Amino acid sequence: MMDWLQAHPMTVVGLVLWAVGVLWLMPGKQAGSTRPKIPGLLLTAAGLFAFCLSCGKPQTQLADEVMFWVFAVSALLCGVLMITARNPVYAALWFALATLATCGLFLLQSAPFLAAATIIVYAGAVIVTFLFVIMLAQQSGAAGYDQKSGQSVMATISAFILLGAVAMTLQQEKLEIGVPVVVAKAKETNAAVAPSPPNMSAMMQASGSGSPAGLPTAPADAPEEKPAVPGNLLSSADPDHAVGDLKGLGRSLFSDYLFAVELAGTLLLVASIGAIALAPRREQGAL
Amino acid sequence: MTPEDLRFLLVGAGLFILGAIGFLTRRNLILMVLSAELMMHGVSMTLVTFGRIHQTQEGQIFTIFTLTVAACEAGLALALVLSLYRKSHSLDIQLWSELREPDMPAPVQDAPARIDDGSGSYGDTPKLTPAGIVPKDPPRTKSSAGASSART
Amino acid sequence: MSEEIQQLVLWLIPVAPLASAVITALLGPKLLRYKSHLPCWSALAVSFVCSLILLLKILPSMGSAAVDPSEVGTFAGPQVLVSGYEWLNVGDLHANIELRADSITAIMLTMVTGVSLLVSIFGSGYMSHDPGYPRFFAAVSMFVFSMCMLVLSGSFALLFVFWEAVGLCSYLLIGFWYQKPAAAAAAKKAFVVNRIGDFGLIMGIFLIWTNFGSLDFVTVLSDSARIAAVEVKNPGVIQLICFCLFLGAMGKSAQFPLQVWLPDAMEGPTPVSALIHAATMVTAGVYLVARCTPLFVMAPNAQLAVSAIGAATAAIAALTALTQMDLKRVLAYSTVSQLGFMFMALGCGAASAELVTPAVTAGMFHLFTHAFFKALLFLAAGSVMHAMGDVIDMRRFSGLKHALPITHWTFLVGAAALAGVPLLAGFWSKDDILAVLSEASHSKEHGLFFGVIWAVATGTAFLTAFYTFRAYFMTFCGPEKFPAEAGHHPHEATPIMAWPLRILAVCAALIGLAVGPTHLFANYLQKTMGLTPVPPDSQHLHWDVMALSSVVAIAGIGLAWMFYVASPKIPGAIASAMKPLYLISQGKFFLDEILKALVVLPLVGIAKLATVFDRGVIDCIVDSIGAIPKALSSIPRQFHTGVVSSYAGFMWAGVVAAVVLVLTMF
Repeated sequence: MMDWLQAHPMTVVGLVLWAVGVLWLMPGKQAGSTRPKIPGLLLTAAGLFAFCLSCGKPQTQLADEVMFWVFAVSALLCGVLMITARNPVYAALWFALATLATCGLFLLQSAPFLAAATIIVYAGAVIVTFLFVIMLAQQSGAAGYDQKSGQSVMATISAFILLGAVAMTLQQEKLEIGVPVVVAKAKETNAAVAPSPPNMSAMMQASGSGSPAGLPTAPADAPEEKPAVPGNLLSSADPDHAVGDLKGLGRSLFSDYLFAVELAGTLLLVASIGAIALAPRREQGAL
Repeated sequence: MTPEDLRFLLVGAGLFILGAIGFLTRRNLILMVLSAELMMHGVSMTLVTFGRIHQTQEGQIFTIFTLTVAACEAGLALALVLSLYRKSHSLDIQLWSELREPDMPAPVQDAPARIDDGSGSYGDTPKLTPAGIVPKDPPRTKSSAGASSART
Repeated sequence: MSEEIQQLVLWLIPVAPLASAVITALLGPKLLRYKSHLPCWSALAVSFVCSLILLLKILPSMGSAAVDPSEVGTFAGPQVLVSGYEWLNVGDLHANIELRADSITAIMLTMVTGVSLLVSIFGSGYMSHDPGYPRFFAAVSMFVFSMCMLVLSGSFALLFVFWEAVGLCSYLLIGFWYQKPAAAAAAKKAFVVNRIGDFGLIMGIFLIWTNFGSLDFVTVLSDSARIAAVEVKNPGVIQLICFCLFLGAMGKSAQFPLQVWLPDAMEGPTPVSALIHAATMVTAGVYLVARCTPLFVMAPNAQLAVSAIGAATAAIAALTALTQMDLKRVLAYSTVSQLGFMFMALGCGAASAELVTPAVTAGMFHLFTHAFFKALLFLAAGSVMHAMGDVIDMRRFSGLKHALPITHWTFLVGAAALAGVPLLAGFWSKDDILAVLSEASHSKEHGLFFGVIWAVATGTAFLTAFYTFRAYFMTFCGPEKFPAEAGHHPHEATPIMAWPLRILAVCAALIGLAVGPTHLFANYLQKTMGLTPVPPDSQHLHWDVMALSSVVAIAGIGLAWMFYVASPKIPGAIASAMKPLYLISQGKFFLDEILKALVVLPLVGIAKLATVFDRGVIDCIVDSIGAIPKALSSIPRQFHTGVVSSYAGFMWAGVVAAVVLVLTMF
């Protein structure tokens, strides 16, 4: 642990700054404490910057790098602003922004369908419903209980301890993610595939008129003799369809996971019936 | 695992803990549900990253299911929030502390947000008859139902 | 008669009342209502006819084959055995549901079914308009079933089961009007007092099981050599068994000091008093002792105890009956007294071995005749009660002779039979008992003892005549007086009540003459297992005893006439002259109070001590054990604020701790 602290002081500094910023922005125990927001925002931004900086600098293209920075920082910053907002309407809007930023990160991870679906479901439906409810319930604007928060110090510190533990684990790279059992098998199947995990820029380049510099985006830390864990217990890597390929995703959903898809549909039906049953009826009076 | 994957995982973890902080600190029912959704985003992010590490579809497929469940959860949670709101006319979570130990004091309230109809409990919440004792009068008479609807 | 028909007849005797009980209980409240007597009547009629067939056809036809006088000691007599099914088969214990009928059974069955048929006919008139009409007949049918099974059972195990069953039916019928607190209390008292006796009975049965290895009547009772072997092996055990069995008999037959329940049992409907608490159930104890004669023969001390208890009971009950003003209570005490007579006779076997069979015969004969005239007296008293609007206090009515002629005549016959007026039923049976006692008083060994018993018996016979006719004169003679409850004109018994009275009156008058001096009863009964037939030439009538008892009876009646008709001032004068004695009799010898002081109060004291211990010590321990978790939880309880966020916070803290621990461990 001490090794990690010495090796990654930036992470620790970022986490601490971030946590202090969150605490600064958080509504206090007593209502009416009007701390200026600017120091909190600055602290948070600095902490986030240091945290993201400490994550290491992978050898990716500049476009990817910029997009990651934009999306990651805005997602986390919007998250902070959401949980500290005094007004629930603002909180919902910050949440929508955080969702959009998260979807951007999904795109970077070559998950375009997921990004679209999340935007449609969250920004399109969930947030709107939330806003409806907020406006229905809080027509008089911000309420007293929104100006206060409970156990904020304890919650923040424990949460950041958790984040620190996760960061330490990931940065020490002691966790062997991947299953060695399938390595041998995957080796043969993987030989035919391009070793590069396709990402956003790779896809854009591939779809763009066959740029010659398309392929050398392979990360340096994935040498040929040690293929990076190309599969898991459930299934081996699909040689025909790259990750995020819509065709492969659909095929997998409606063949391997057909039963689960049906179950999820049933769950939606049940939930909608339940919501209708739970919601107050008209004859029970208005809200 | 590449450093790039590591960055995504860390961002996911950050979203998760931010949601947790919001869930624990905020007292607004809707904000708590929203914070739970933010935690869900962190989980989705992590799942997608894992899928990319393993080069399989499962990460994204699982995220799709998570999305479905989250949608269900949001709908049900809002329905519950609405029915709670109908009883207390407030979104404050601290109004609902009926499960505390009998000798513990109720949480301090900012304002008498709850409308007390004098029946000693929340409006027309169903009341359980204590076991072993013959109820003195019918638990829910027509007049009390009428009174509660007249109140609202 | 073929085997199958015999079995059918034997089964029909208990099964018909059982079927009636089930039908009445199931259909009575909704369907039969005030026709509920029909199943009961028909079932009892079937039982009675079958009992008669058993008595008159089946057993005599077997008699010649089975009796073998040469085999003295292993005498089983003529018997019909019908096995039903195996009930218990545990180790060596084979308890079968099987019916066994011999002479004493046949006599008891005929008496039980006959009397209960008449009583149930009377009861349908007496109980009309009662809301519990179906319940009454269901319980009566159930009682007759249990009583038939009690006398038909072929083993002690089955006997005990139905011994309890008749007790249950008695409880149900005493408490028939359970709305009345007195009736409920009387039912409870009868049940509890009977438990004491039943404890003795089951102890006796256990002893029989451990010593004989069997509960079968034939195995245990028929072989006198085997009984003697058991006695040799375990000296005194037979005596212990006999005392235990007699304790059971004392409870059921209301013998001193357990007789306190029977007078209170008069709270039940009068037909029930006539059937259960006069004619049938209370004689079960007599039946048990008579049935176990082979055991009692081996235990002379137990027999002496039987006689002594019987004498004490007879005298105390008769003395109590002298001053009671409740007509039914007078009859109840006379029942207790007459049961004492029966036990006096049963104990006579101690005097000499030749007396065993005459003694049992005399006791059973008195049981037989007593059933008729006592049932008659109770039914007549019920008729009086019916006419007087449920008033039973003899001071509140008198001179009913003209208003209730049928009741009057039948009561007179019953009273005369009970008093022992010559040629009536009671005369012959009581005479038998006195004769046996006087013979026993001439024996060498226990002559003095039985002399005293004989004197007590004669005195009690005098008292019996006196108090019976006191009740008669107070009720039916003198100036005509009705209580207000009776209305203006008391109505005589309806035909449905009058006819059973008439039939019973005829029986009470003639049955003794028919079977007593002709030795029909004695000869029939002596074929019972365990009894040695007396040679016919030694049977003779005891003219001297007869003369004495006639004189005693007439004297008692005459004295009653003098006191209550000729000069009604004398009783009051005597009562005030001997106030303490009068009060003792009036207060029923204060037995209830004595028992309460000796038994109940110490138990209550122990119970109170136990309560103190329970509250002070056990509850304290339990409470302090309960206080430990409460004390331990006083700190964690502080966290249960009911606020959702704090619960979520604890959950979150747990998750963080677990994850951090796991991650830093690697």
